[in-house]
Amino acid sequence: MQVDDADPTPGHAWLVGLAAWFVPGMGHLMLKKWLRGALMGGAVWVCFFLGLAMGGHMYDLANGQTTSSTLLQVPPMIANLGSGVLFVVCWLVGIGFGDDPVQAARVTYEYGNTFLLIAGLMNYLVMLDAFDIAAGRRD
Amino acid sequence: MTVFAALASVVFGAMTKDTPRERVLYGFKVFVEFIIFGLVLAWVLYFIPW
Repeated sequence: MQVDDADPTPGHAWLVGLAAWFVPGMGHLMLKKWLRGALMGGAVWVCFFLGLAMGGHMYDLANGQTTSSTLLQVPPMIANLGSGVLFVVCWLVGIGFGDDPVQAARVTYEYGNTFLLIAGLMNYLVMLDAFDIAAGRRD
Repeated sequence: MTVFAALASVVFGAMTKDTPRERVLYGFKVFVEFIIFGLVLAWVLYFIPW
């Protein structure tokens, strides 16, 4: 079986991917894909802020417990982490992480949770798209 | 649900296909599929007793 040597991934592709994760849409803007960056990054930003506005809740591991239920927080935290600086800023400022029964009683609470999760997951896709473009694998 | 479908279809449409026209058509197709699937799933879950 003959295996062709794959072209090595350019170094700047990793930087573009990292920037795309950290600031949604930044990877495409660095590649001068203005419309793509605006659309895809804008969709992530809008999804995230709509999630916060609907009273959604983000997940972290700082609940002070060391039980197995803490492990259940890991997958949604990974999804939320996809939002990059949006997640980091909210975590530093303390927005969207509290366990507030009044917030949880809102009709749109679960919708907000979903929007926040999907914003992060969509940004992972956006990040991978920017990386592939920077690596020359797609146009 | 409609807003969610719109946001997701923008991302999916922008990522796939080659020409702008194909991207717009695919994004619209994904949007319609999200809506239809959401409505179908809602009705299925409505009749499930638990």
